[in-house]
Amino acid sequence: MNHNSPLPATIHESVNQSGELVEISIMTDLSKDGEYRDLWLVASSSAVHIYDDNGSPYDTYSYDQMSDLKIENMISTGVLTATVGDNDELICRFSNTKAKEFGHFLKIVKRLMDEEEVKESDLEVADFNPQCPKCGLRYPDPKREVCPKCVDKRSLFARLLKYLLRYKYAIIIILICIIVSSFLKLLTPYLGGRILFDEVLHAEGKYYGRLIEVVMLMLGTRLLSIFFDIIYGRINAKLTAKVFFNLKTDIYTNLQHLSFGFFTKKQTGGLMTRVNWDAMQLQFLFIDGVPFFIANIFNVLGIIIVMFILNWKLGLIVLAPTPIIIFISKGLLSKIWSLLSRRFRKRRFLNSLVNDALTGMRVVKAFGKESEEIGRFRPANTGLFTANMRFTRFENTIFPSMFFIMRLGGLLVWALGGWAVVRGTVSFGMLMSFVGYIMLIYEPLQFMTMIADWGSNAMNAAQRIFEIIDTVPDVAERENPKQMPAIKGKIEVERVVFSYEPNKPVLHDVTFTIDEGEMVGLVGHTGAGKSTITNLITRLYDVDDGEIRIDGVNISDIAVGDLRSQIGIVLQDTYLFNGTIAENIAYAKPGATPAAVVGAAKTANAHGFIIKLPDGYDTILGKKGKELSGGEKQRIAIARAILLSPRILVFDEATSSVDTQTEQQIQEAIGKLVEGKTTIAIAHRLSTLRRADKLVVLHEGRIEEMGTHDELIRAKGKYHGMVKKEREALRVIAVGDE
Amino acid sequence: MNIEYLDPEKAKFGRTEGGFLNLRIGRKKPCPRVNLYRSYPLSRPDELISVRDSKDVEIAIIASLHDFDHDTILLIEEELNRRYFTPSIQKLISLKEEFGYTYWDADTDSGFCRFTVKGGENNVILLSENMLLIIDVDGNRFEFPDFQKCDSKSTKIIDSML
Repeated sequence: MNHNSPLPATIHESVNQSGELVEISIMTDLSKDGEYRDLWLVASSSAVHIYDDNGSPYDTYSYDQMSDLKIENMISTGVLTATVGDNDELICRFSNTKAKEFGHFLKIVKRLMDEEEVKESDLEVADFNPQCPKCGLRYPDPKREVCPKCVDKRSLFARLLKYLLRYKYAIIIILICIIVSSFLKLLTPYLGGRILFDEVLHAEGKYYGRLIEVVMLMLGTRLLSIFFDIIYGRINAKLTAKVFFNLKTDIYTNLQHLSFGFFTKKQTGGLMTRVNWDAMQLQFLFIDGVPFFIANIFNVLGIIIVMFILNWKLGLIVLAPTPIIIFISKGLLSKIWSLLSRRFRKRRFLNSLVNDALTGMRVVKAFGKESEEIGRFRPANTGLFTANMRFTRFENTIFPSMFFIMRLGGLLVWALGGWAVVRGTVSFGMLMSFVGYIMLIYEPLQFMTMIADWGSNAMNAAQRIFEIIDTVPDVAERENPKQMPAIKGKIEVERVVFSYEPNKPVLHDVTFTIDEGEMVGLVGHTGAGKSTITNLITRLYDVDDGEIRIDGVNISDIAVGDLRSQIGIVLQDTYLFNGTIAENIAYAKPGATPAAVVGAAKTANAHGFIIKLPDGYDTILGKKGKELSGGEKQRIAIARAILLSPRILVFDEATSSVDTQTEQQIQEAIGKLVEGKTTIAIAHRLSTLRRADKLVVLHEGRIEEMGTHDELIRAKGKYHGMVKKEREALRVIAVGDE
Repeated sequence: MNIEYLDPEKAKFGRTEGGFLNLRIGRKKPCPRVNLYRSYPLSRPDELISVRDSKDVEIAIIASLHDFDHDTILLIEEELNRRYFTPSIQKLISLKEEFGYTYWDADTDSGFCRFTVKGGENNVILLSENMLLIIDVDGNRFEFPDFQKCDSKSTKIIDSML
């Protein structure tokens, strides 16, 4: 919201005068009582001073008197608090805009409080809310290279054109067709008016009586014009399809390369719909918009020129109502637009409602809520109906009125032109030609008033599409990454700090080591940070602080391809793609032989159930195919991992949704898989982790205990408590079963 | 239902020196700091307010804010306003759209504010016929009552974001 600005000189001076040095300063945008106001926090080696925007001191908190300095997140703001004496004290508030910056400030001040050294490099951080240097508005997305306000719209259009220009010849043919066709259209009123009435039907005409020839000529020009229209339409359809095929391929290719974080932030489902929608907008512009625009320019210019050559006075009369038409169209357009967008919203709402109810049919039926669902549907449907009706009503009132205004222009020509005909200054045929031109000119003019809005919508769509094509992955490969085709499998996690959102760290200072071939179990309640650790080791995200090393090499230096191909993952929610079972097992290793696939499935204890299926390994899975049970899916995922035979294995709650017998089979499969491999396993059922060489017990993002199962049981700490609780729970279930 | 409601007769809220709320219920040991959370921040902001201690354990629930005396209501509201800080836009000074982002300059009841909203992702929500909730790119929230009264160009932009 407010700009980042350096500490005002007055404040700097007043700190210096007190004999202290400014270590770090920060501006907050919110006062304690919730007013937008610039206040400054200045941290020296002994205290945090607060100054108001005039440079007068406001408050001071010395490090001796306070402890437990922290940020508390509110809904859209943050609060910096500390314990002073026995009380929690509110030091300052800030809006979410400042959240990241305050996170950094807090880190430095804590070091000052602990009398740790603060290096110059610690203070250097990226701009938290960078402003566009050109227009001063902030970048909505710091990763974007150009501010959307300052993006060169012409260059955007040029980029789109680049996709088109690959098909130069097609475009040249299209242009020729358009020009010829508009020229032919210009001829028709001339032939039908001036020539027909003045030269053919008139006794003194040059071609008096040669009616059939002229009519044939008129027919000929018409046919020729239609012929060119057809050619242009056909080439254009093919061209646009090709262009958008290329564009969509580019989008999809880049989407696949983006980091995982991009998809969680963007709601993947909506993403593809938006991309498709945007591409469609552009497609409309290119199929209907641009060629039509060019054709119309030729038409309008041609008509104006011809009219003025024939008779400039009548030409002026024809053009007289155009300002009115343009003015009215523009006004109406915004009204039509708002009605249309309302209709669009209502329709989307109705669609999502229907979709929701149909997808959730099982729940609807189970709770007997059919009539309620119908009840929910009715007002939405009525809403759409009303919006539809309003639009249609408006449309049906306004267009006839528009036509009427256009006709007025025609009447004017009839009246004034007719007067001139009577006086003999204009021939009757000439008047008829002009009446023909009126019909031709108003439509393109009206279209021209629309093109601006249309164009800007399409440019928005283009911008969003290029945004995706241009997005740089957060997790990027180094320029010269270290190639590690054969990882041994030692993993060191050192002082790792990570947060998905600013000031809400999920992992604090986590350190542990997994030796080559060891199996480590991660234990802890939901939200303890177990899955986050596996996300970081597989480098779906990068750490905020600290580092993760594999075989002594920081994972951000390892070639991403090498890293991913040697880490196998079996996730909590196994995703199987549309395709056969064999294809799904071979997903990570597409070249695998059919025998190797069967071998992997055997090791995963999946072979047994697969061969009993009518189509065996050829069984098609996915939306239209066979549905597998949770346990079967997991065994396929395990087979997938076995086939890949990675050096490092990650199991995320691999056996949470199956019965005991299946679990045993899965456990057996896992046992075979993990032999000799470095394994990280997460499981809710602690019993499944008993064979682990080491257990890491996490609590709220910190390591609470570490050791083998026996050691931790003896220590009688958190793990002991969890095991005890689980046993009790199992006993209750056992009693319940009897 | 196992909801423990706070008894307005026995509960005594107070402001701490550090600027937070404390609570004493009857003769029980006073709680040096409590945090308040709304159950229905949008639809029922004054009802079912959870009172939690600094360890995030729920002490009780306030059935309705209006059961308390005037001073206490002010105290509680002040605390709630801090957590659910949502300045109300009183005058829209300018609204511009640039390629999917909207740039707002507005006078709010907390002072002038300039913020940026990303379009197309449910960041402008219609709470009622004449109340909008706007969430900017940083997660700051704003209320916009009587938004229909702004000029037609702004209305069009807002319409397109709904």
